[in-house]
Amino acid sequence: MRQRSLIAITAALAAGALTLTACGSRDDDGGGSDSGNGGGGTTVVIGVDAPLTGDLSALGLGIKNSVDLAAKTANKDNYVEGIKFEIEALDDQGQPSVGQQNATKLVANDDVLGVVGPLNSSVGESMQKVFDTAKLVEVSPANTNPALTQGVDWQTKKVRPYKSYFRTATTDAIQGPFAAQYVYNDSKKKKVFVIDDKKTYGAGLAATFSEEFKKLGGKVVGTEHINPDTKDFNAVATKVKNSGADVVYYGGEYPQAGPLSKQIKAAGAKIPLVGGDGIYSADFIKLAGASGTGDLATSVGAPVEELPSAKEFVANYKAAGYKEAYEAYGGYSYDSAWAIIEAVKKVVEDNDGKLPDDARAKVVDAMQNVSFDGVTGKVSFDEFGDATNKQLTVYAVENGAWKSVKSGTYTG
Amino acid sequence: MNELPQQLVNGLLLGSMYGLVAIGYTMVYGIVQLINFAHGEIFMTGAFGALTVYLYILPDGTSMLIALPLMLIGAMVVSVTVAVGAERFAYRPLRGAPRLAPLITAIGLSLALQQAVWAWYPGAKSKISFPQIDGGPFHIGSVTIQTGDIFLLIAAPISMAILAFFVMRTRTGRGMQATAQDPDTAKLMGINTDRIIVVAFALGALFAAVGAVANGLKYGDIDFRMGFILGLKAFTAAVLGGIGNIYGAMIGGVVLGVAETLATAFIADVPGLDKLGSQSWADVWAFILLILVLLFRPQGLLGERVADRA
Amino acid sequence: MELSGAGPVEPGEGTHAWETPDGPRPSARPRGPLARRYDRHRRAVHSALAALVVLAGGGYLYATRPQPERPPATPPPYPSQVVDITYLEPVPSPGNAPTSSFSFAVLLSVESGPSVTVTRIAQPYPGLSVTSAPAAPFQTKADSARKITITMRVTECGKAPWNAGLPFLDVTLRNTRAIQVHSFILGQRYAQHLSDALQVACSNDSA
Repeated sequence: MRQRSLIAITAALAAGALTLTACGSRDDDGGGSDSGNGGGGTTVVIGVDAPLTGDLSALGLGIKNSVDLAAKTANKDNYVEGIKFEIEALDDQGQPSVGQQNATKLVANDDVLGVVGPLNSSVGESMQKVFDTAKLVEVSPANTNPALTQGVDWQTKKVRPYKSYFRTATTDAIQGPFAAQYVYNDSKKKKVFVIDDKKTYGAGLAATFSEEFKKLGGKVVGTEHINPDTKDFNAVATKVKNSGADVVYYGGEYPQAGPLSKQIKAAGAKIPLVGGDGIYSADFIKLAGASGTGDLATSVGAPVEELPSAKEFVANYKAAGYKEAYEAYGGYSYDSAWAIIEAVKKVVEDNDGKLPDDARAKVVDAMQNVSFDGVTGKVSFDEFGDATNKQLTVYAVENGAWKSVKSGTYTG
Repeated sequence: MNELPQQLVNGLLLGSMYGLVAIGYTMVYGIVQLINFAHGEIFMTGAFGALTVYLYILPDGTSMLIALPLMLIGAMVVSVTVAVGAERFAYRPLRGAPRLAPLITAIGLSLALQQAVWAWYPGAKSKISFPQIDGGPFHIGSVTIQTGDIFLLIAAPISMAILAFFVMRTRTGRGMQATAQDPDTAKLMGINTDRIIVVAFALGALFAAVGAVANGLKYGDIDFRMGFILGLKAFTAAVLGGIGNIYGAMIGGVVLGVAETLATAFIADVPGLDKLGSQSWADVWAFILLILVLLFRPQGLLGERVADRA
Repeated sequence: MELSGAGPVEPGEGTHAWETPDGPRPSARPRGPLARRYDRHRRAVHSALAALVVLAGGGYLYATRPQPERPPATPPPYPSQVVDITYLEPVPSPGNAPTSSFSFAVLLSVESGPSVTVTRIAQPYPGLSVTSAPAAPFQTKADSARKITITMRVTECGKAPWNAGLPFLDVTLRNTRAIQVHSFILGQRYAQHLSDALQVACSNDSA
């Protein structure tokens, strides 16, 4: 009896553990399923690292699916002669330590010639060095913290820390000020309460916003750092209400921003919450509820309906039948993956149609000069690895959906 | 504008929630000296039980006045089933084993329950919205109370009163006290200790279920990990109040909730502490309080002296 | 009971014949010629009906099939996607401008698509007003660029953006596709020059 129960418990535990590990390895069958015309050539794997489970999975799955779509498209068109692309998607759960393990895993797979990801800047920080040492190119569709490409002292002296790191998203060095200008000049809000989640992305964004807001003549009437593990923000909400602020800026992501917006309004402060690309998700609207109408978010890129290339992407994405929406970073993820494909193409063509032995290093070099018309506009990278195309859009919650209200282009 | 009354109410509400869950920790510990780390997940499954009743059993558009009691019953049925099942199949076989074995089992069970809900409950891979009570917030002076909090405000004291009556006045309740004092002697006196232990688990689960429904109403959504952090906080509350003491659990919860809220609200105004005042530091202050209390009263606020056991 | 693979010997529940032979037959009613024809050609009618349903369904599916990615004619691009405005340098103000004003040169280029008309150039800051030369509206053809002089006049020094980190211009663009207000963030050099010019203009003003 005793013996049997013990076995039962062990089995239960094992089942639990297995379910846990299953989260990490539940990748899809990759992108090569319908190629059939690769002619049995070489297989190149594009790694994907994003949060595929947990709170941020809506964004993460959008990234994974979009990369998958890029790989499938390249295979279908036989875009690179003799090369078949596959994806290997790993789940980082939004945690830097897991991201680093994934990076090590991707480096160990010799077929991986490029990685798309991650979503979170903090995870990006932990992966950069691993990839750089292995000379494996990493293109993030979503990291917006300026330090990742321009060094920690980016405000005074820009130094690129890692040669193998690129990104297609615009940085918070532009996003924060852009939001500040919109809030101060267009929304005419003068007193802000700034809240962040203390993570690399959120704290960085809140800082660039506050700085510009103060420069413009606005006043920061209060600051607060929330604990992302809780969902009780009532104490913070009461503080916001009593501060007399007419707008709240939140540097962070939608799992916290949604409840925060809701609780601030419930506390009696009927003021809009403004955030960055981290809250630009349909899930934010769901979590913030009806009182979230009028909340604002800036996001990277132009609105999808303005780009013909994006329309095609949206249609193809739909036709491919992915279960999850492509979300905020779908277009950038597709472009990130396509940049890797372009770089691989260049390397292969320069080497008489074969992959060279030092393909990884060659891909890094080729990436620097990649230039093509992607989903989000022209895709190319500057000397820091940042996207040269820097567009931003302000969205507002209206009738339960995000609606674009103003777009801008950085041409400095 | 005076912020204090509102923040006290915020803290009281948060604390009542901790207290409701803490009762489960404290009762089980009081009787079998087991820290049931899966209790947070029993709380979580209760919330999903209530949601199941609302989504899949009641017809669409049922008034919350009718739905709420039924959801509460649904939450209780699920929580109690999980708790009694856990006791029967995971803990009872290990009753004679070293302390560490059931503790590790509890942690494993906690993970397994989380993952089970994650994997099998439809839509549970992200947050699911929980039905809300309509009607605007209530204002008493400068204090605002949300409609969703009314349930918690009423349910917490009533539950406490019922529990006190049960433990003090009924046969089973007295049997529980006896088992808590000395299980072997209690057995010799003819008390069915196995049954008492099951009752302790079930009672704890009942309170967790009340807390779970209150939690859903208060925050508007539930997810498979909602029990983890709350469980840790509730366990802290139980220790703060004196583990093994049911009133202590409630008091500890309220003290912890108020301490967190006040730390968030006011520490930043203390000169020199402005960097340590935000919500991200609230837990630190709460644990400093816990350490201070345990330094001077190792048995917790209302705890009995830990005499000859443990 | 033995399982034999054959059907039930006796009709189970719900397996009885639909028309009970001894029930009151509806055929007591005289049947029209159409019905009689139907009786004779039942199989043919059924197969014809089935064919029709298949055809209709197929036709419907065909008609509502996901359209391949080839819209009949690509509509022209949105103006904000083809226009680029870059900052060049500070330039002396035109002669007729008031003293508290200063000017910058920017380069407006149109990459592709139909010509784009700039209907308005503005900037969002209070305390500043802006005019351009050539004055809006003006048109620019695709694959061409033109230099525009932006002249700003300080209307109220106290409200001017002394220190904006990334100031921008709001430009209203129009082409055959759409009319859009787009912000052009001109970068740090522009921010620096704007800030310097404001210092000068406002010290002149007060002196």
